[in-house]
Amino acid sequence: MITPEEVAYYIQNIPPAPSVVRQTLNYLNEDDLTKAAKCAETDPALKLYLKTLINRPIYGFRQEMSDLAQIFGILGISSTQQILYNYLLSLLVPKEWLLFTLSNQAFYDLQASLGRKWETILKHLGLHNRDTESSITLLPASIIVCDALFGTHRSEVDQLRRVKALDYNTILQRLSKQNLFDLCTVIAEKWEISPEIARIVHASSGLDSDITGNERILAQWMHLLLFYELSQSTYVSAGLNEFIDFQIDFVQDIYESFMEVISDESNC
Amino acid sequence: MRATVKGRVAIFQPQGFLDGNNAPSFLTIDDIKATEALNVDMLLVSLKKVIFFNRNGLDVFIRLLQDIRTKKHITVGLCDYDHVKFKTINSFYGNALTFSLFRTEKIAELFASSNKSDSKTVLLYNEDASQRSAMAIELFDYGHNPIIAQSKKEFDEKKQTVDLYYAIIEDTYLGMFGQKIATRVTGNAIIYTIANFLDAEIGDTFNIAYHNNSLNAGFRLFIFDAYKVVSMNVHALNFFTKLASSAAEYNATICFVGLTFEKTPISFKNDLEDAGMMFFDNMDDILKNKELMQELGGSSSASTKQTRTLTKALVNELPRFIDATVSTITMMTNATAIKNALNVQTLDIKESKNQFASSIGFYGDVDGLIILVFPKNIAKKACELLIGEETDDEEAILDSLAEFVNIIGGRAKSLLGEHKQHVDITLPRTYGDIDSLMQIAQHKKGVQVDLSFEGSNFIFFLTR
Repeated sequence: MITPEEVAYYIQNIPPAPSVVRQTLNYLNEDDLTKAAKCAETDPALKLYLKTLINRPIYGFRQEMSDLAQIFGILGISSTQQILYNYLLSLLVPKEWLLFTLSNQAFYDLQASLGRKWETILKHLGLHNRDTESSITLLPASIIVCDALFGTHRSEVDQLRRVKALDYNTILQRLSKQNLFDLCTVIAEKWEISPEIARIVHASSGLDSDITGNERILAQWMHLLLFYELSQSTYVSAGLNEFIDFQIDFVQDIYESFMEVISDESNC
Repeated sequence: MRATVKGRVAIFQPQGFLDGNNAPSFLTIDDIKATEALNVDMLLVSLKKVIFFNRNGLDVFIRLLQDIRTKKHITVGLCDYDHVKFKTINSFYGNALTFSLFRTEKIAELFASSNKSDSKTVLLYNEDASQRSAMAIELFDYGHNPIIAQSKKEFDEKKQTVDLYYAIIEDTYLGMFGQKIATRVTGNAIIYTIANFLDAEIGDTFNIAYHNNSLNAGFRLFIFDAYKVVSMNVHALNFFTKLASSAAEYNATICFVGLTFEKTPISFKNDLEDAGMMFFDNMDDILKNKELMQELGGSSSASTKQTRTLTKALVNELPRFIDATVSTITMMTNATAIKNALNVQTLDIKESKNQFASSIGFYGDVDGLIILVFPKNIAKKACELLIGEETDDEEAILDSLAEFVNIIGGRAKSLLGEHKQHVDITLPRTYGDIDSLMQIAQHKKGVQVDLSFEGSNFIFFLTR
């Protein structure tokens, strides 16, 4: 089964953020969308990713968007930052998923759907800012890490789960004293993502007892949003419904508000 | 999604939202086949981590449960819900509720066979008097002690003293029950409760796998509690005669208690006695007669008179059983178990204090019993992944040890399957002290392998 050495090896091999992405993010921090777009243009892979992503039906543009300055202008600083983080995460996406029966297309759809709904939630909560919006981008990192670490241990996990309903996060915690959300924090540090984002995502495991205030609220909504998405047929079939433990008590008090917000979002 | 199996109960544990769109995705064809192949008495869907469900979503699971109940005569239903969910389920199904509802997994387990002999005192209430009675009878048949509250007021008063009860049963409903014969363990005797008219159907409702497991695990006294039997026909007679023959191979005794012959031909009694069955009027005639219990193999001091010898076929498979054990330890601990010595002998435990043991039987192309004996601290270490938190709770450690040996059984089954040897595994059994293990194992000859793990020794013993 997974050893702490395997986890350490995985962490070592997380690639650093490409310099163009870091520079583009710096321009965004300076609120300079024009320079950010120009900088992003210099990386063909990034440019292709942004163009492909933004032209997905979920973004609802009627005409094809190809000019990065135009794309950044329409998205605004917060959403552009979110999409750049999504791009960073795409660098970790495996060529072939080993644990989950997932295609990269389905994964990117999950990212996009989480992003759209999260934005609606933040507006509802009145907690919308650059970091809170971007925080959702780090959440699917937990899925990538899980697949990477458990992909070659699938049959062992299956045998274990036949006698005990343990989720991957718990198994990893017990074997290596680190869980999937700890590893998300490591990724955030490596990519110089704001600590606030890392804290929210970590707390969205529903297992952090020491969070309070807005961070707790955001963590609750993020946890429930994750399970709302992972309950969609595609992700249930992929095996994602079982990857972490759903903390129903953690989210019970926001359930009704959540359903109202999500219903409104779906009707838009 | 695969069901998790604990003892004789299998449970699906979906999470999040459950509706008509996503529910079919939880169950692939392979999942359904694997579920049908499970050897359990009860199949449930847990709603513990389901925050939203609707009728269409539940129906997908209910259809599977009902199909399996029809084929395997097991109990099916839902468990792990709160009062609000209980009301919702009732509003969905109303009078068409044919499956069972158990408020918790712990309550559900009370209505299924187990290898444990401890009788649990439980407080029980249901508005419906017929449900109250049905539950009380089932609980009693499974060896428990139900305290029945006759009114809500009485129930509310009694449940204030929560410490008096192992469980408080409310918001629970027995639907069309599994029709499996209720089984309970008393000391070293297994008691099966049979009722009404016995015919060919007893072949479906009697859990032969559990019975074989019990024989393999060392039980030697089997009692049919037949007070409620009206009569039996020749098919049932044949069934019991065959059962007596297979029991003879293990030197086991089968008794009937309370069976009357007003509507059953007296010649059946003669036939059954010829096959080796014994008849008693009252349960206490056996259970309270220490000498008789010892003679019949149901007392703690009883041991088998005949020992089943190792076969070449079983010894040939020894490497696979050891592989299954060693690889499970590696999987669970990331540490390597080292083989130190291997001998054909009776079980020899040098240090009998502070040891736990567990066993699992298997039968099919080869049959036998795997026994593991661990120092307590090593048992705890080996089960750390299953236990999770630091605990000295012996019951929790023994439960995890049962899960641990169950994984070994599963791996051995897979490894043997790769070599075209088909076996089924039985329920695991655990022993909190060596004396209780030696009651079933002291005269058995087998292969003892001394293994070490993290500097401490433990014993692997393969026998029949």
